[in-house]
Amino acid sequence: MPNLEVVANSLLSGFLLGGVLALTALGLSIALGVMRLVNLAHGELLVGGAYLGYYLLRYTGIDPIAGLLLVGMAMAVLALPFQRLLIAPLVGKGMEAPMITMFGVSVILQNLYLLAFSADTRAIDTPYAASAVHLGPITVPEIYLIGFAVSVLLVVGVHLLVSRTAFGRELRASSYDADAAAAMGVDVKRVHALTFALGAACAAMGGVLLGTAFSFTPGSGGTYLLISFAVVVLGGIGNIFGTLVAGIALGLLQSLGAVVFGDGYRDLVGLVLFLLALALRPQGITGSGAR
Amino acid sequence: MSDMRLPIVEATPLLRANGLVKRFGGVVATDKVSLTVARGEVLGIIGPNGAGKSTLIGLLGGALTPSEGTVEFDGVDVSGWQAAERARRGIGRTYQIPRPFLDMTVRENLLAARFSLHPFDPRARAHEACDRILERTGLADAAHLSARALPLLRRKRLEVARALALNPKLLLLDEVGAGLVDAEVSELIELIQSLRRDVEGIVIIEHVLRVVRECCERLVVLNFGRTLAQGLTADVLASDEVAAVYLGTAQDRSKSPPAADKSTVAAPVANALSALVTQSPTRADTHPLLELRDIHAGYGQARVLNGVDLTVRAGQVIAILGTNGAGKTTLAKVISGAIRPTAGQMRVDGADVTRSPAHEIARLGLSQCMEGRRIFATLSVEENLLLAARGIAAPERAQRLDHVYALFHDLKERRSISGTSMSGGQQQMLAIGRALMSRPRLVLFDEISLGLAPVVMDRLYDALAELRRAGLTMLIVEQDVERALALADEVHVMEHGRIALSGTARAIRDDPRLRHLYIGTAD
Amino acid sequence: MSVTLKQTALQSAAPQWQARWLALPLAFAVLAGLAPMLSDYALEIGFRILLLVTLAEAWNLLAGYGGLVSLGTAAFFGIGAYALTGLVNKLGAPLAVALPLAGVCSALLALAVSRAVFRLRGLYFTVGTLALAEATRLFMINYNGFGGATGLFLSQDPPGLRALYLIALGLLAFTTAVMTVATRSRFSILLRAVRDDEDAAAQIGVRPFRIKLIVFVLASFLMGVAGALQGLKLGAIEPYGMFGIQWTVNVLSIVIIGGQGLRAGPLVGAIFVVGLSELLADYPAVHLALTGVILIIVIRFAPQGLVGLVQAWLAVKAQEAS
Repeated sequence: MPNLEVVANSLLSGFLLGGVLALTALGLSIALGVMRLVNLAHGELLVGGAYLGYYLLRYTGIDPIAGLLLVGMAMAVLALPFQRLLIAPLVGKGMEAPMITMFGVSVILQNLYLLAFSADTRAIDTPYAASAVHLGPITVPEIYLIGFAVSVLLVVGVHLLVSRTAFGRELRASSYDADAAAAMGVDVKRVHALTFALGAACAAMGGVLLGTAFSFTPGSGGTYLLISFAVVVLGGIGNIFGTLVAGIALGLLQSLGAVVFGDGYRDLVGLVLFLLALALRPQGITGSGAR
Repeated sequence: MSDMRLPIVEATPLLRANGLVKRFGGVVATDKVSLTVARGEVLGIIGPNGAGKSTLIGLLGGALTPSEGTVEFDGVDVSGWQAAERARRGIGRTYQIPRPFLDMTVRENLLAARFSLHPFDPRARAHEACDRILERTGLADAAHLSARALPLLRRKRLEVARALALNPKLLLLDEVGAGLVDAEVSELIELIQSLRRDVEGIVIIEHVLRVVRECCERLVVLNFGRTLAQGLTADVLASDEVAAVYLGTAQDRSKSPPAADKSTVAAPVANALSALVTQSPTRADTHPLLELRDIHAGYGQARVLNGVDLTVRAGQVIAILGTNGAGKTTLAKVISGAIRPTAGQMRVDGADVTRSPAHEIARLGLSQCMEGRRIFATLSVEENLLLAARGIAAPERAQRLDHVYALFHDLKERRSISGTSMSGGQQQMLAIGRALMSRPRLVLFDEISLGLAPVVMDRLYDALAELRRAGLTMLIVEQDVERALALADEVHVMEHGRIALSGTARAIRDDPRLRHLYIGTAD
Repeated sequence: MSVTLKQTALQSAAPQWQARWLALPLAFAVLAGLAPMLSDYALEIGFRILLLVTLAEAWNLLAGYGGLVSLGTAAFFGIGAYALTGLVNKLGAPLAVALPLAGVCSALLALAVSRAVFRLRGLYFTVGTLALAEATRLFMINYNGFGGATGLFLSQDPPGLRALYLIALGLLAFTTAVMTVATRSRFSILLRAVRDDEDAAAQIGVRPFRIKLIVFVLASFLMGVAGALQGLKLGAIEPYGMFGIQWTVNVLSIVIIGGQGLRAGPLVGAIFVVGLSELLADYPAVHLALTGVILIIVIRFAPQGLVGLVQAWLAVKAQEAS
């Protein structure tokens, strides 16, 4: 049985990491809630953000976390034509077609990354990426703290956007009843496009944080996709606060699993929890997610 | 409930519902309904739209499980049984809007039912049995056709045929008569009478009173999810109470002055109204506000509108009446932009908007109160209102909000709660307020009286009368004939996707053809 | 429209002996007879195509005919491979027993998760299967009892290429027979009813859970045997190759490109995909990316796949002629 300090370290790390997981899952959640889109390319958007951050640092020296919003916006701009070209024309043809399309996009992106950036494992190398912070007896990597703080800030920001602004009203109305929203003058197509862009931006920003804390390869997207899904389902689709809670919970449980079973089982624990959540309570822990 | 002495005279009823309650979130759709169907009996269930008839059939057929209460079939408690089990046990059911398996042939639709019960039936026997049923239901010539190719009426027959393929003991027929002309209703009645030989009991939910009168021995009247009356058909139909509820308001309106004549209006309300209504200049040579020319529209195979012409000028109040299935709602959807016509033209102020999407039409000043209200549950009352005033500067928006609150005090008190956690009447007020927030030039009111008590409807129609006096152009699609006639200048009555009768409200009220066309509420 | 009528009319007609029924068995006989004359390369390609068509048919049964879009092919495929290895290594089972038993193991997995995944409809089901595949992969990588990341070796030598080709042919023949029964028999009517409208089907006495379960178990059995064959051929198995996403991607692409819910779809799709991969054999990343592009284009512009396109074209020609 590992000693208490290790366990405490692990749990705190898991907690902090959970915040970042919540941020990455956020994009998936709102896309699913508003557009009923199962974005199977979500992992690749995340990894894409990591690559953006990596090259941003390399070519301009700008710290990717300072330039996080920049990366987010860049990804949003890149994502818009995707949505217009590939997803918008499939509206009304069922949920299968857009899902398979995004699956195709995922395959394309993965291999595009492979071709463009090679299969080398990379990590965003900043001064704080490897240093640790000591809080009494507990040690956590500095990047986890930063990542957590930034993630929570962004999640809160998105929450405010959705709950306080006019755009947020249109977003919520469109997700609840698209026809009624259109009848009231809401341009639902535009809302969908912007929502997708917002989701992509969140994924990319989460990717930068994860790419600093861990390493990544062109193929890393797959596991992150499923972990994000786990967070989304646990937190309730479209429920922003729920996503934050679920992210943290998952982070904690994953770390616990890693302590008990070994580090390789971290992701497996997440997936098993996901499957259990799907089977037992598809509407999320807080129960307020839309089905 | 159990009696130690075995009942000598009555056998166990075929179906018995005890105190059924069904809740959907905060809404109680079915409120302690009890009824029995004796063997050999045909029971009718009637009531205004929104009374809970379809929910009840769902509870009896197994598509829904009751929140409280039980359903006993043939003496066995089946309350917890899913639809498939009840079907196998002998309860057959048709859907209000037919749901055939579109990608299979007519015969295959029946075979699906047959094979689910007799998976190892020799092919010849199964085909024979199905063909017999097709013969009975008048579909013998269509056995090889894809279900998708069937027009709406024949799909209804297919629904019945498919339910029969299960050899049911009890048949639940959900509004089979809707949208049929007189001759077809006669055929339907004949079919139902003949079905009595094959099944032990039938429950019919209907709007078409002729079917009810000629087929049902007993009736149950539902209103607001509760049983209002039960008894022999003739007695129930003769009851004044039932007539009042079903026809909307008391027939004799000479007792209360028509709402449109009320002259006492509080000043702030009058100000609020004029601030929210856009007055259009009334030059004679301007284009009509809204013009529909030879509009055809439908959903997939089903063609609902078959050439509708309509002109609306600024300041007019026009009522659109018609039976279920006549096309009123489809017309409303075309005007609002929810669906686009397959042929014909639609113009607003002379500009062609035939292909315009819904949100563009809304931005031209055409608002609507949609059927079913469609309040956003994830937005508060105030947010629902603010959404409608999108793109308006904040101060102007706040002003309009105040005006709407002046009109409907109830909304002001509940401004921060979810839009749907209010009563039906209050939600309808919210819907109207929402429509007004955009300072519309025309408002379409689509069946706003659905499921509301007469008292609440009085209030709503008072508000509408005020709006009319303030000069708002209104299109009222209504089930409640009397109220619509009291409010409107001009009336159009639809039948089979066309406007069959038009004229001033006064002329139409006295026209005998109205009664004839408007099947479903008149004797 | 006329195409649909023709298809359904054919299916409703009482079956009379038709010459075209001989077509398939004849084709199989020919392919088998060719075996001694084919080069090693041809046998390799043949084996790959046969295996992929088997997988695609099974997936088509599940998704195209059953309406259950699964992204978990890899899970059942991999379990089959590992089960075979275990049966041969630990129990010394002869191939004739081990191969079908491996399929049974996959079917058992399907049975075990069925209660959970069938509670999910539509997208939840799909994502659930994806998670299942990934979870099995991660488990196999980490759990050393089954060889962990390095995998296992088959203690027997794999049979020759020709023998493998013939076994694959046999598997495909069996799969085709199963598909024929499932899509032409009365079972197909029940299946289509559940696929088209689960609630209406329930209302006429069909038990959707049972129907879906039968299809799920059948499909996973076939996928398991296919996986076992692949394992047999390689002689050594490891999690990345056996549970990798490429199996899911390939099968999905084959069926979509060929045409869902159409009998000829998987064959056409498999030939296309294998042909493409041979063409771009030196550029695996480009090959996959291109497959993705084609997938997107097909879904958007030709949702009925290549076979569907041809059928539609033929129908137009027939109408013009009449």
